[in-house]
Amino acid sequence: MSTWVLFTLMVIVAIVMLYPFWYLVDNAFRSPGQFDRQSGHALSGWKELFANLPVGSQLINSTLVCVAAIAIILVVSTTAGFAFAKLRYRGSGTVFLLVVSALMVPLQSIIIPEYVNLAKIGLTNSYAGAVLVYAALGTPFATFLMATYYRGISDELIEAAVIDGLGYERTFLQIALPLSLPAIATVTVLQFIQIWDDLLVGLLFLPASQRTITAGLATLSAGRTTSIPALMAGSLISALPAIGVYLIFQRHLVKGLTLGMGK
Amino acid sequence: MSRIVLDSVTKQFPDGTTAVQSLDLEVGDGELLVLVGPSGCGKTTALRMVAGLEEVTSGSIYIDDRPVNDVEPRHRDIAMVFQSYALYPHLSVYDNMAFSLKYRKVAKSEIRQRVAEAARILELEPYLARKPRQLSGGQRQRVAMGRAIVRQPRAFLMDEPLSNLDAKLRVQMRAEIAQLQRSLGTTTIYVTHDQTEAMTLGTRVAVISGGVLKQAAAPQELYRRPANLFVAGFIGSPPMNLVDAAIERGDGGLTVVFGPHRLGVPAAVIAEHPALERHIGGQIVLGVRPENLHDAALVHDSDPAAIIELPVRLREELGSEVHIHGAIGTAAHVSGSESDDVHSLATMVARMDPRTAIREGQTARVQVDTTALHFFDRATGESIRR
Repeated sequence: MSTWVLFTLMVIVAIVMLYPFWYLVDNAFRSPGQFDRQSGHALSGWKELFANLPVGSQLINSTLVCVAAIAIILVVSTTAGFAFAKLRYRGSGTVFLLVVSALMVPLQSIIIPEYVNLAKIGLTNSYAGAVLVYAALGTPFATFLMATYYRGISDELIEAAVIDGLGYERTFLQIALPLSLPAIATVTVLQFIQIWDDLLVGLLFLPASQRTITAGLATLSAGRTTSIPALMAGSLISALPAIGVYLIFQRHLVKGLTLGMGK
Repeated sequence: MSRIVLDSVTKQFPDGTTAVQSLDLEVGDGELLVLVGPSGCGKTTALRMVAGLEEVTSGSIYIDDRPVNDVEPRHRDIAMVFQSYALYPHLSVYDNMAFSLKYRKVAKSEIRQRVAEAARILELEPYLARKPRQLSGGQRQRVAMGRAIVRQPRAFLMDEPLSNLDAKLRVQMRAEIAQLQRSLGTTTIYVTHDQTEAMTLGTRVAVISGGVLKQAAAPQELYRRPANLFVAGFIGSPPMNLVDAAIERGDGGLTVVFGPHRLGVPAAVIAEHPALERHIGGQIVLGVRPENLHDAALVHDSDPAAIIELPVRLREELGSEVHIHGAIGTAAHVSGSESDDVHSLATMVARMDPRTAIREGQTARVQVDTTALHFFDRATGESIRR
């Protein structure tokens, strides 16, 4: 009985979740007229998209920014997380608290000072500026997650490696890092989705030639008339990489997200 | 081959707790020294200082006459076996054992040979390709041992290596560790809270309480001549019966009095404990091992001066022996600061021949082996001897 209730509920939730995606796919293959009538299919939306937007280069821009930012986030969060979790030094608790408190600062509230800062060192209108902003925004959460994960690795394991002759640097590289792959996968997926989908930083810090796909799509709808099918087609293209990354890492993702929920 | 010396080593943590206080210990070449004590007594901290995992607050540690206080753990050339085994979960059994050799730039062929040898000794050959999670507790324990053996280190440090195993396996692995250590002849410090493990394994046993070394001696010496109340109560199972008593000069010798009971102290015992004379008329703590209390009915030429009568509260059958719990009719000894760990009993436990007919509810006539009495200073807790 309860299984049926649960099953029905899950089906409803699944429909609610999947319908927008279906709507996106369905309407990506219509002309504006077909969209108004909600019948018939055509490829005109795609033609319009490619005619108005450098989709290929914007996808590459998105990828570059994402990969660079995530690389920085991973390097900082794994090393910092390990240090917070496993090394004892004066004031580590306070520093950790500072890092975690950065989690509570919303992007919108610091975007102007951020822009001013980057302008002062001449990094606006460049990949580097956007990458640094994304990395700075993603690192606190990633560090928190990695520290939590490393705390779950027994101290004795680290000490065994230290006695085995590794020193802390190599212990980190040889023992801690391979063991934290689930957490690394989690950070990667969450940050990828966040950065890939971000609009504000992309619009503010990147010149038109280096725009990400998300920012590009936003400009598509900025004209007086908006072609919904073209927008849908663009959204579909931009959604695919995120879905791909999610599918690749999903097994680890669950493991990483439920970490600390009992042994 | 090596010698480890701890010279008044003290460890104080930043929060002010003193885990180890001015510990002096020497572990001889090839010796297996067991550090034993209740949990939180500082024995693991002491071991971790030898390993280099904890800094020494004051005092010095020497490995082969070389001070190692400031030497990093990896340069101390010691191997450690942890309570949780601490096997690398992402590496196979082979790689776990070969791990440290790889980082010490040992030749590949030599690594293969050493791991194969260790696997043979520990009967791990069929499991070399497996991951630790695919092994049973006993096998993991063996891999942890193997990882220490292949290093051929100056010393093994073992931190409660058997406490995660079930009782039967623990006894088996205990014997294996003892044999292995003897055949390799590697200097070993072994930490445990289990006094049976300590007694059976140790060439010498160091009893620690509250960060202070209470006594370090060979197991038999520790059992026969405990230096103080703590060791007396800690070593032995069931523990030594300890009771507040008085020493009086009786007819021709000394008499020890507790509650309604009086025991004549034989001349030979007085000769062995000359300091007893100083306590005449004073208060002491009397110690009697359970096996030194016999059923008077089963003793051939029982000595009336050494018989006490105890109302029996409980009879416990253990098959090979029977434990009789008798009320002593007076308060048992409770020592001050370390009372948590000294079993203070309002009863005396006697370990008797299973043929004894003593039943619950009866009053037992108990013959005390007065040649094996222990006397302790009530103020200091030290054994009264010379």
